[in-house]
Amino acid sequence: MKNREKLLRDKSRELLEKKEVDFIIGYVWGRDKKRVCPAFIKSVEEVENLVWNPMCVNNLTLYYTRKYSDVRAMGRPAIVVKGCDARCINVLIQEGQLKREDVILLAMPCEGVAYRQELYKGELTIENASPKCAVCDVNNPPLYDYVVGEKVDGNTLKASKSIYDEIGKLDETSQKDKWDFWAGHFKRCIRCYACRQVCPLCYCERCIADKNSPQWIDTSRSLQSNFAWNMVRAFHLVGRCTFCGECDRACPVDIPLNLLNQKLSLTVKENFEYRAGYDGEGHPPLIVFSPDDKENFIK
Amino acid sequence: MKDNLILKKEALQKLIDDLLKDGVRVVAPVRAGRLVEYAPIKNHSEMVRDYINPRNAFKEFLFPQTEPIAEYRALKKGVELDGVLPKALSTVVIGSRPCDAACTASLRSVFTWGADDDPERYSDDFFTKRDTQTTVISIACLKGDEDCFCTTVGIRPDGEDGSDILLKETVKDNFMVFPSTDKGKDFIKANKKFFVNGGEDLKEIEYPQVIKGIEVDAVKRRLKKTDIFDDPVWEALAGKCIGCGACTFSCPTCHCFDIVDELSGYEGRRQKNWDACQLEYFTLHASGHNPRNIQPKRWRNRFLCKFHIYPTKFSSTGCVGCGRCIRVCPVGLDITEVMEELSADTK
Ligand code: SF4
Ligand code: SF4
Ligand code: SF4
Ligand code: SF4
Ligand code: SF4
Repeated sequence: MKNREKLLRDKSRELLEKKEVDFIIGYVWGRDKKRVCPAFIKSVEEVENLVWNPMCVNNLTLYYTRKYSDVRAMGRPAIVVKGCDARCINVLIQEGQLKREDVILLAMPCEGVAYRQELYKGELTIENASPKCAVCDVNNPPLYDYVVGEKVDGNTLKASKSIYDEIGKLDETSQKDKWDFWAGHFKRCIRCYACRQVCPLCYCERCIADKNSPQWIDTSRSLQSNFAWNMVRAFHLVGRCTFCGECDRACPVDIPLNLLNQKLSLTVKENFEYRAGYDGEGHPPLIVFSPDDKENFIK
Repeated sequence: MKDNLILKKEALQKLIDDLLKDGVRVVAPVRAGRLVEYAPIKNHSEMVRDYINPRNAFKEFLFPQTEPIAEYRALKKGVELDGVLPKALSTVVIGSRPCDAACTASLRSVFTWGADDDPERYSDDFFTKRDTQTTVISIACLKGDEDCFCTTVGIRPDGEDGSDILLKETVKDNFMVFPSTDKGKDFIKANKKFFVNGGEDLKEIEYPQVIKGIEVDAVKRRLKKTDIFDDPVWEALAGKCIGCGACTFSCPTCHCFDIVDELSGYEGRRQKNWDACQLEYFTLHASGHNPRNIQPKRWRNRFLCKFHIYPTKFSSTGCVGCGRCIRVCPVGLDITEVMEELSADTK
């Protein structure tokens, strides 16, 4: 880990010195090393602040979406990405949000990150790792300009069960139980939109939740409008969500958004043999029409 | 210490159940998954004791996230409009923390302007009715977590401000009782069968450390300078902010709201909903211009609100150091790091 951190700093320094990039979007320690935070590194002097460890949870590709005019104005970035983060770059390319050459990807071979930073106490285990890491198949990033350090031996977390088992269990419950399960969670939603803000693929110029003439989704905190909000967001991510897990991590009231989004990802995989973000070609299935689409749902 | 009032552990439980029997809404910290939150309880057993600070502020029981203020119906001719009176249930908050209690004064100063005899006095009916109907019984913290910083902003984990009654834990797991308002004293009188006289040793309180580099007065001085608006500190420290409402919606002193009409069919309601200065459209003008067009400017507002606007306009505290905004922030933006930066810069 330490070595990879050093290699990351070396490469970043080189990129800045050679003016190949204008700044680095990476991770640094907060005060007293309590937590790791995203940072924009603009000078060679600051490069020493860059860190790499299992607390590097954020998906930094977020900062180069069109929501961040101020970050984009800083020029061309090198972004420190894990494999799962790099998948978002692929989707952003597919959706015309980025050109591949707009960004330099400093790709980190990765054996996992903590589910939430405070759970990490110096050792990453299957208990404190993010659920996405248990099922990760992009430990060696599929997309990169520079791979930082040696490749890793794939997924070493050896999970005995995964989020897909949880989804399977939920699938088996009755419709009423499913309703109660989600109603119980959604009624706690405080409509802070952290899930949306943290998602690199929620880049709409004006989110439907913010449109007020007409008001598509009530802003009141009620079960009805909370359902509307959470379902609309989930639908807008179908076939696009890369399971970076950021929305689930960011939710301050602990709504299991991974369960919802990954259920939909599974559905897309079953019906379209498609998984988002593995390459920058083509388009996510739900934003294109194909004469080969199955129509067996029309009864 | 002999002639103090004691509330025995079992008596607290009986008191809660007694209040519930009388139809009082009792709000207490309860377990909610991995979190603890303030919620109305139905039985004393729901209340937890091993918590630092619940994820929400009990503010939402004085100033709910969503509340109707009027109802309307579209008729064949014209519209019929009725004001909605605030529903203020008789409420007792048990187990609030002193930092949260301290924020009640801050909320009062926003929702009630001017002295009692001031003809210009403004008083928000909704907030004030709930406030008068609510008794706050706090339990002094034995310790904080690594994000608590009350002592840095001049609040004590055993402070009485804002509480009607403060309870301090004794070594026998009972509580020493310190009423600090008339409301608190009346509450004890009305429920005197639950309290006994006595003296017990208090459990030791581990005060959160005052953050060395921070001097709140220096921060306030710095914020008074007009050039603060364009200080590079905002971009440097808040450039990573992603503009969600997690911090503001968790903060006990944030008080901004929006008024919206929500129609279904021919009937609708005018609702008062929490709003947040961190959200992109908070300051969007009808012209399309947005004076706070990027996130660091929005974050600057949040900080100015806490450490400049509150103290100068309302002479009250804008931040009680509860640490919630730090705990919930998806990008680890720590308000105390900004306080420290601005403390250093007092030229
Ligand atoms: S999902 Fe894979 S690439 Fe992403 S953090 Fe986990 S192990 Fe690393
Ligand atoms: S929906 Fe959640 S998991 Fe999916 S890409 Fe967005 S933030 Fe990541
Ligand atoms: S982050 Fe959680 S609480 Fe906030 S809007 Fe999303 S689902 Fe609701
Ligand atoms: S600004 Fe943060 S620490 Fe201060 S009162 Fe609000 S939530 Fe608590
Ligand atoms: S400071 Fe953190 S919690 Fe607050 S709006 Fe910014 S990102 Fe969200």
